[in-house]
Amino acid sequence: MARNNEGNWLQNKNIGVKLLTKLTFFITLSKLAIVALFVLLLPYLVERIASEYTNYYLRQQKQKVLQITKLKGIDFYLQGDESYGSYTMLKEEYIALEPSYYPFKKDTIETARRIVEQDTLSYRILKHNFKAKNKKYLLEIGKSTSSINQYNHPLQRIALFVLIGLIALTIVVDLVFTRIFLKPLGLIIKDKLIDQKFPFSKQLVPIKTSTYDFKYLDSVISNLMLQINVAFEKEREFTANASHELLTPISILQTKIENMMIEVGLAEKNHHQLAEMMRTVNRLKKIVNSLMLISRIENKQFDKKDEVLLNNLIAEVMEELAHRLTDNSLKFTIQLTHQVCLKNLNHDLLFQLFYNLINNAIRYNKPKGEILISDAISKGYYTISVKDTGYGISQKDLPLIFNRFKRINKVETAGYGLGLAIVKSIADYHHLKLTVNSEENIGTTFTIVFPNI
Amino acid sequence: MKVLIVEDERTLALEIEAFLKKESYICDFARNANEALQKVGINEYDFVLLDLGLPDQDGLLVLKEAKKLNPDTAYIILTARGKLEDRIKGLDLGADDYLPKPFSLLELQSRMQAISRRKFGFNVELIPLGEFKLDLQKRLVWCQQNEIALSRKEFDLLSYLVLHKNRPLTRMQLSEHIWGNFADDDFDSNYIDAHIKNIRKKLGAFAETDWLETMRGIGYKIRI
Repeated sequence: MARNNEGNWLQNKNIGVKLLTKLTFFITLSKLAIVALFVLLLPYLVERIASEYTNYYLRQQKQKVLQITKLKGIDFYLQGDESYGSYTMLKEEYIALEPSYYPFKKDTIETARRIVEQDTLSYRILKHNFKAKNKKYLLEIGKSTSSINQYNHPLQRIALFVLIGLIALTIVVDLVFTRIFLKPLGLIIKDKLIDQKFPFSKQLVPIKTSTYDFKYLDSVISNLMLQINVAFEKEREFTANASHELLTPISILQTKIENMMIEVGLAEKNHHQLAEMMRTVNRLKKIVNSLMLISRIENKQFDKKDEVLLNNLIAEVMEELAHRLTDNSLKFTIQLTHQVCLKNLNHDLLFQLFYNLINNAIRYNKPKGEILISDAISKGYYTISVKDTGYGISQKDLPLIFNRFKRINKVETAGYGLGLAIVKSIADYHHLKLTVNSEENIGTTFTIVFPNI
Repeated sequence: MKVLIVEDERTLALEIEAFLKKESYICDFARNANEALQKVGINEYDFVLLDLGLPDQDGLLVLKEAKKLNPDTAYIILTARGKLEDRIKGLDLGADDYLPKPFSLLELQSRMQAISRRKFGFNVELIPLGEFKLDLQKRLVWCQQNEIALSRKEFDLLSYLVLHKNRPLTRMQLSEHIWGNFADDDFDSNYIDAHIKNIRKKLGAFAETDWLETMRGIGYKIRI
């Protein structure tokens, strides 16, 4: 229901996440995912590596044995026996040579159990068939699986630590550099966009950056702001000049009509026509005067040095307006409970502001309607509301009511559509916040918030 | 009384003259600052109506110089500039009044009358109005020995009509005099009617008020 007339998307800056936060989040999460994946894969990888290495080792050993049998003959091992067997001290490795009676098979490597001196141990075993002295032999070289796996754990741990260390380092480096790279963007937002009030009065200093994209963004934003300022300036100048230039011809028309009206012997019909003309000229005069007032406010031609007691101000306004209440038998109530003295304001402009608001409340009220003026202090702000029980404004029209020449209510007594535009420019000029609540056929409430009282 | 109209817009100057002539003022023209200062140096005027936006010089400078040459003259600034500082500066420099353009000739005359009363010490006798008498100084209405109390706005209305007697004044002209820039035709016309009704009621209790005429669809006129 409530709608801030500023309707500015920048006010929703709490909605949405900053790019830097997003990147930080993404970088950290993606690295953590890599660590998790690695931790899951690590035992399998280490095992694979160990087994590959063992196979390689066993083949090396086989080559050595074959080399020796070639050079020194199989008897170097057999020493006249049928077979040969040998193992290391802790039974980590063994070698066995025995005659084979089976057909030749390719080399196989497998994990199997062997009994070595009463101990049953698991070995990784390479089996190789070969011929020597016209006899077939089977060579078995084995390495105990426990000796193979003895390095797995420490290896895994070291790999994990190194990885975590590296990841942590890259996270830090990534974040630092993202921060550095994104800094110009932050500067553009801070310097050019945050707290920018139209017309843009801050000086536009180019942001220092070597990133092309940011340079481009910065220059485009600065350019746009400059263009908007120039356009606004031109419009302001035009309004001031045009309305000023219109005043003299209007003066001539008005004085001419006035002089004609006092001609002696004028027919009644002509009198009526002249009165109509005068009404039209008067309307023109009011529009021009309103435009001039807005342009003078926008050109900051008013001092803000007055102290205003709102009770007195409202009383002054009502002195000019009270007679209009009787037309529609309106009930008018003032409930100002705080005697607040507002400083650094322009009395005449503030008068005009309340005059227009109350005048609207009268103009767009229903017969026997009510008008309530009340105030409140909350969170250090002083607010004053003008509430009526009139025709109200539709939600669709609410954002438009402060536009110049926008006439929402198509009632007979509608004005020229500049009253609220004046209210808005006076509020803006004094940095007052203006809000409207309205419900069709129930009424409208305008609230003005005075900062730091 | 002699009036110098300092205005570069000839048509406007002529309209002002046409109006003031009917009120027995004698008018002279100056189209720029130079001419204005020459004329002020030679002639003695009762009023100088001064436009601020002159082609050769700022009207405020003319005011300053003219004031030295002719301090007793009444100066009224007529301007389209409408800047607040101009008004303050103008009055500081000794202008007697300030009317922003576009102004009503009736309002100009009313201001000139007020200045005459104030400045030239015009001994304003009681203005007769039928069987009534109007005291502009004390803002009172008398009927024989009876003092009749009118509200501030009612008296303003009556005296404005009296000042422009025998002329039809529209409701708009009347409300503009009473409420100035805040006048609103749609609303205040009704209120003028209500005021006139009140005046007729209050005065009618003592004597006839047929000199106050309603002009249908236009406004009101006091015929004396």
